[in-house]
Parts: sequence; structure tokens; C-alpha cells
Amino acid sequence: MDDRERSTGPGGGATGDLAKRIAAARHAANPPSRRRMVGSMRGWELAFRMVLELLVGIAIGGFLGFAVDWLLGSLPAFTLIFGLLGFAAGVRVMLRSAEELNRRSDAGDRPDPSTPPDARRPGASSGDGG
Amino acid sequence: MAAGGDAGSFFHPMDQFVVKSLFGGGEVTSPISLTNSTLWTAIVIVVIALITITGTRQRALVPTRTQSVAEMMYIFVRQMVEDVAGEGAIKYFPYIFTLFMFVLFANLLGMVPMSFTVTSHIAVTVFLALSVFVTVTIIGFIKHGLHFLEFFWPKDAPGWLRPILAIIEVISYMVRPVSHSIRLGANMMAGHAVLKVFAGLVALTLAGGLGPVAVLPLAAMVGITAFEILVAVIQAYIFAVLTCVYLHDALHMH
Repeated sequence: MDDRERSTGPGGGATGDLAKRIAAARHAANPPSRRRMVGSMRGWELAFRMVLELLVGIAIGGFLGFAVDWLLGSLPAFTLIFGLLGFAAGVRVMLRSAEELNRRSDAGDRPDPSTPPDARRPGASSGDGG
Repeated sequence: MAAGGDAGSFFHPMDQFVVKSLFGGGEVTSPISLTNSTLWTAIVIVVIALITITGTRQRALVPTRTQSVAEMMYIFVRQMVEDVAGEGAIKYFPYIFTLFMFVLFANLLGMVPMSFTVTSHIAVTVFLALSVFVTVTIIGFIKHGLHFLEFFWPKDAPGWLRPILAIIEVISYMVRPVSHSIRLGANMMAGHAVLKVFAGLVALTLAGGLGPVAVLPLAAMVGITAFEILVAVIQAYIFAVLTCVYLHDALHMH
């Protein structure tokens, strides 16, 4: 780790602008259009994930309630209650996924070394001091 | 019309998922038998071993291509573990790296024509997800003892609501391994089935005497193949990221 940081530090001689050159080459090899495609893929994946979590929540809740009903012989009662609780659990997991996405996109706001800053946000001229 | 009668013979999108015995006519008769699933699991492991072990054997300062692939994946996963699960999770890096590599290569080798996608079977993904679930829960109990149960007990909620919220928390904890495994298995199975359906369409158009029209489903197949490779990589990444998220919860309890 230390070695790597030292070699890319300022005044590194021959390797001084190496980081910049690598970033430029990476950017050329990975155009924004491709990034967008991966980005939309993530969105699709997230939608699928959230729906799945909601359904699984209801299913597990319903299953637990059904098990309790089966033991107590009170058929519709606990299945309904636990189904609703499962729904709440599904929503909760779903919200956590959304929260996690928010956190990650916040983290993604710091300058990405693989993208030159001017190419990242074409419109933003101020407020991007970080 | 004659082709219509044969239409069924082209459409077997689910045949690729059938587990067949390698010996003795393909019928799986005993619980312990060598199947195509066994074979491809072994191939996945051998390929991973070839890339990671033999690739890095020379430990050259200027890496060869294979060594550089192995190093890139190592660095990628290590960075992910540090970012998502935190510094304290580095201890568990080997486990997450193993999971990531297995899922990634099982997904990618499944794209080889005539191969068998190990991760398209719920049985495999459920095992992977359950092992994560059990491991993470055990780590939680070892790290925090019985205090780990407080993870399910919302302290800042009004008193009468707490038991209800606790049930919700427990259910949402149990949702994790299920959605973790279904997501991977369903994604791999759906993609491969769609690919096979379009392949069947190509054969059907050709058999129906509509030669040039077959270009359309063929073009779709090219697109879907590219998409499937993307899905294979992203699903492996997501599987590993979620493992890190769960690990983070067990280590830090929030």
C-alpha cells in the first residue's frame, strides 16, 4: 500500500503523471455510454431485488403464521397477522436496499480516479469542490 | 404446416437444466452419482485454481496476463470487502473471495455452449446463501454473544410496539437468504431459458422455409448473449456485495 502511494505521489519523477495517464487511458477504454448501460442494468437489478424481497417477506410471514395456525388450529387468524407482518418486513428490507443504494451513490460522488473530473459532470461548474 | 407439427421438437428451453448422470444412460439413480452438475462444478474449481494458483506462481513484478487477471480480481474483491464490510472484515476476505470466484466462474462457464450452469439450480444457490446466513449469524453471536439478539430488538421504539417490530425484524432477517439465493438462481435460469427460446426460433424459422427472416432472432441472440455475460458478472458481484453487507451487520450490528 505504502509503496503504491509513494510511487504515485507528487514529484514522483518518471511516474509523476502516470496516474493521470492511466486515468485517461481507462476513460478512453470505458466510454460513458457503456457506463450508462451498466448503470441501467443496476437499476433493473435493484427493481428485481426489491420486488423479490417484498414477495419473500410476505411468503415467509404467511408461512410462519400458517405454521402457528396449524399448531393451534386457528386457521385464518395468524396466517393473516403474520402475512401482514411479513409484508412490513418485506417493505423494511426493501427500504434498506434503497438506503444502501443512496449510501453508495453518495460515496460515488467523490472524484473517481478513473474519470477525468471535467468529463464526469458536463453541467456542473460549481459545488463540485470535493 | 408440416413444420408446425415439428415445432415442439425445437422448443426445449428447460432441457439444459436437467441433471443427468454421466454414466449409465443418464438416469440419476443413486443420491451419490457423478452428474453433469458435478462435472461442471469440478471444472469451475479447476479453472479458478488454474488462474489463481498457477497464474500467481511466479509472483513476477511485471505480471503475466494470467497473473494480472488473478491480481485484479483479488484487488477488486478486497477493495469491496473493505468498503462495504469495513476494516474489521478483512479476516473474512478469503471466504468472500472464494464465494465471488465460484459464482463468477460458474456463471461465466455456463455461457459456454453445451455447458451446464451450476448456479442456475436453486439447490446450489440455496446452499451458498444458507452457508452465508449461518456463517454470518455465528460470527454475530461469537462477536457479540447474546447481545447479538439486540439486533432484532428495536430499542428506540415505543414499548408496546417493540415485540411486533421484533417479529418484523426476525422475518426480514430470514428474507435475506431466500432472496439472496432466488435472485442468483432465477437470473441465471431465466437468461439461459430466453437464450434457448430464441435459438429455437432460429431453427423454427429455418425449418419453416423463411431463411432470411432467421437473421432477426439470431441478432436478438447475439444481444442477449452479451447481456447474459453482463448479468453473469453483475450477479456474482451482487452476491459478494450482499455477503459483505450481511457481514457488516453482524460485525457492527446496525
